[in-house]
Amino acid sequence: MPPFVEMRDIVKIYPNGVVANRGVHFSVEKGEIHALVGENGAGKTTLMKILYGMEHPTAGQIFLEGRPVRIQNPHQAIDLGIGMVHQNFMLIPSFTIAQNIVLGQEPRRGRFIDFEAAARLTTELSQTYGLQVDPQARVEATPVGMRQRVEILKTLYRGANLLILDEPTAVLTPQETADLFRAVRRLVAEGKTVIFITHKLVEVKQIADRVTVMRHGEVTGEALRTADVSEADIAQLMVGRKVLFRIEKPPQQRGPAVAQVRDLSYISETGRPLLREVSFNVYAGEILGIAGVEGNGQTELAEVLSGLKPPTTGQALVNGRPVLGKGPRQVRQAGVAHIPEDRLTNGVALDASIADNLVVDRYFRPPFTRRGVMYPRLIRRHARDLMHRFDIRAASEESPVKSLSGGNMQKVIVAREFSSEPALLIAAQPTRGIDIGAAEFVRQQLVQKRNEGKAVLLISADLAEVMSLADRIAVMFKGRIVGIFQNGPDITEEELGLYMLGLKQQSPDEIETLQ
Amino acid sequence: MTLSQKQKQYLMEFFRILAVILIALALGFLITLLVSEEPVQAFKELLTGPLPKISWTEAGLKIRGINRFGNWLEDSITLILVGLAVAVVFRAKQFSLGAEGQIYLGALAAGIISLHTSAPAFIHITLALLAAAGAGFVWGLIPGILKAYVNADEIVSTLMLNVIAVQIYRLLLIQWLRNPDYGYIATDFFPETAVLPLVIPGTRVTIALFLTIIAVVATWFLMTRTPLGYEIRVVGDNLKFARYGGINTRRVIALSMAVSGILAGLAGAHLSMGILKQLTLNISFGIGFEGIVVALLARNDPKAVPLAGLFYGYLRTGAQIMERSSDVTREVVLIIQAIIIILITAERVLPLIQQWRMRRKLPQELSADHSEAAHVA
Ligand SMILES: Nc1ncnc2c1ncn2[C@@H]1O[C@H](COP(=O)(O)OP(=O)(O)OP(=O)(O)O)[C@@H](O)[C@H]1O
Ligand SMILES: [Mg+2]
Repeated sequence: MPPFVEMRDIVKIYPNGVVANRGVHFSVEKGEIHALVGENGAGKTTLMKILYGMEHPTAGQIFLEGRPVRIQNPHQAIDLGIGMVHQNFMLIPSFTIAQNIVLGQEPRRGRFIDFEAAARLTTELSQTYGLQVDPQARVEATPVGMRQRVEILKTLYRGANLLILDEPTAVLTPQETADLFRAVRRLVAEGKTVIFITHKLVEVKQIADRVTVMRHGEVTGEALRTADVSEADIAQLMVGRKVLFRIEKPPQQRGPAVAQVRDLSYISETGRPLLREVSFNVYAGEILGIAGVEGNGQTELAEVLSGLKPPTTGQALVNGRPVLGKGPRQVRQAGVAHIPEDRLTNGVALDASIADNLVVDRYFRPPFTRRGVMYPRLIRRHARDLMHRFDIRAASEESPVKSLSGGNMQKVIVAREFSSEPALLIAAQPTRGIDIGAAEFVRQQLVQKRNEGKAVLLISADLAEVMSLADRIAVMFKGRIVGIFQNGPDITEEELGLYMLGLKQQSPDEIETLQ
Repeated sequence: MTLSQKQKQYLMEFFRILAVILIALALGFLITLLVSEEPVQAFKELLTGPLPKISWTEAGLKIRGINRFGNWLEDSITLILVGLAVAVVFRAKQFSLGAEGQIYLGALAAGIISLHTSAPAFIHITLALLAAAGAGFVWGLIPGILKAYVNADEIVSTLMLNVIAVQIYRLLLIQWLRNPDYGYIATDFFPETAVLPLVIPGTRVTIALFLTIIAVVATWFLMTRTPLGYEIRVVGDNLKFARYGGINTRRVIALSMAVSGILAGLAGAHLSMGILKQLTLNISFGIGFEGIVVALLARNDPKAVPLAGLFYGYLRTGAQIMERSSDVTREVVLIIQAIIIILITAERVLPLIQQWRMRRKLPQELSADHSEAAHVA
């Protein structure tokens, strides 16, 4: 029997000359979960966009159950039962979840959209597949995990039999990931087929039946049974070399407190208290990890400290200078750098060049600007230098950031923030969505900063990451710090988990001594 | 000769626009065929009307039609200045439509200085130009501040400020500035010291031509070689990113509109001090809005604005000539203009052409670039 989907000899050359796929062969069997892995920029998203009709292959053919098909646009893909959930979501924020799900194929009563039916259909669908959503909530007010379920339901509503999920777990908490996997298994049990892009090799082993590995636009491992390969094997196929999974961390040389945060509270515009009297220090030469289930104030902590949001009350000193409520320019001048969590909105300007993106915090200083005149040549040179140091892969430093793969975009941000020589580096989900090689690199850089005597505040939903990098770990729950620990072999994931879920809490005195 | 990636892209863009113009002109000719008795003649007027007719006679070199040529340049100067003004605000993604009002106030300020002060020529002209620039600046700063600090929608505020500007202009003109002896509403002619000196005899092309060239260079410099230009671009590309990077976005939004106002104000000075040499009831005839077309054609790139302005000016002048000297009406000409603009501003054409080119040269490209891709047919 022919495979369910087969893509043969796919070549994709983008208009700017980037060859994203070089003769890729890819096939998926009906009813399987097929993982697609590869470094940033390997061409995974491109390949899937071709299957979904969003990009047109420069050469190559696609077969569905043995029949050759031409997929010109997503409409045709949907008609063929192919649905895709993108790396960067594409929902309408001001619409409700139900409206988003039925968008374009609204149930009607007479000439009008039947919103009740939409809500009902949404509920039914969500129950069938075990994907919990609130049909009436506006998308902008819902957490990422739910948005993703909305995206999946949206494709199911359109009758997808083949679901392409592009890095679905990159934005999810471990809990949400577990929920997603349960839902994916249920989808497969209902006869659907799932293609699953990820950078987390654990997940490949966990959920996928087979895995295809890509590197530099080519397939280096075709449809391997996940039972037959180890994570290390896959990593090697991806990167072309052995990958270190453990980071070398020399003993800590702790210096004085670089950042002192006291009684910091933040109440959102809608009146919800998101930070409650948070106090901690970050010392020179240490990585303070903030662990917690996402949505417990970590995002706001980073945004308030970096000047993006004004605090409601409280104080923060960086190198003895007050930084709260000053706005990002002053905060940066006090020596703070920030890798933002929401990288597409805050971290880059997609239409601007890589070079311009890399100087947003320094364009007004020499050598880039002297006596009011800016020197683009030096800005470009600066970009080439950083692209080299941080291994950012792009056609040139003048390419717009939007033409980069997701991981390379993240590297642009990392390159800028690391190279600003900060005294305090706030890194929010710094390795989210980047490949194992790049993640290894970023983690090494974080440790490097610490070894140089800088202070690092690491906010990560990846508990394993926090535990392997941090010198101390603070756990946040409902906007509070509920425990601070010296990291060591006696700290276990289970123990931290209890704090993360609010089941355990240190006394204020204990917290104080460890601040 | 090998071209860099960027040069190639410019070349592509150039040929694309050329192709689009040819297609649009062909469509225009089809339309002319339908409505005109003498379509070839009419169309020839459109295409060559603005050019001077140079011929050799016994008496030597003879140039006719210099005034039409002049009309083209005069109109292009206004279009380029206004086009620059619009390009600056649009680049910051501020949809300010205030050029029209800024033109009026620029002309007014220039007129007041011209008529009510006296000074030696150079100083007088400089003062009047500064006044025009200042008026434009202020009239841009107002909606800029309203947008930046109280988030007042700039489309609405600038359109309303246009009305206010025109009314201020008329009020002052009718109540105070006009010469009541004239049979129509207008001021005296400006004194010699405040009229822009002529550059091409037989036309009204003045040193505004050079001022425009300077304005183009200055705007290009502003946008690519100054921190403010960088800030304007970043604010236009992603406001949140600009804020995150520490840019004072409010200041940039307000300034982008104010700087734009300077350029529009200068366009007003060109109209009053160069073309009309007095203030009359109507001076701009909506050219503030034509600047939007120029900016769109130029993709908000100051470098490209002169070409776009000259092209659009040519089309406008040719259209007037065709209207005057054939049986084709202005509406038909407007249709042709519209077709050209729609085709050029349609973004999707370029990727399609490139995709097609890519496919044709696929095999060589791949093997040159990557040897392992040999199995690609
Ligand atoms: N629209 C585009 N225009 C030009 N080049 C592009 C475009 N989209 C992607 N590319 C380039 O194509 C290559 C493959 O990108 P793609 O997004 O497919 O990678 P990916 O494997 O999904 O990476 P990631 O894991 O980082 O998401 C990259 O070099 C990227 O810069
Ligand atoms: Mg991708």
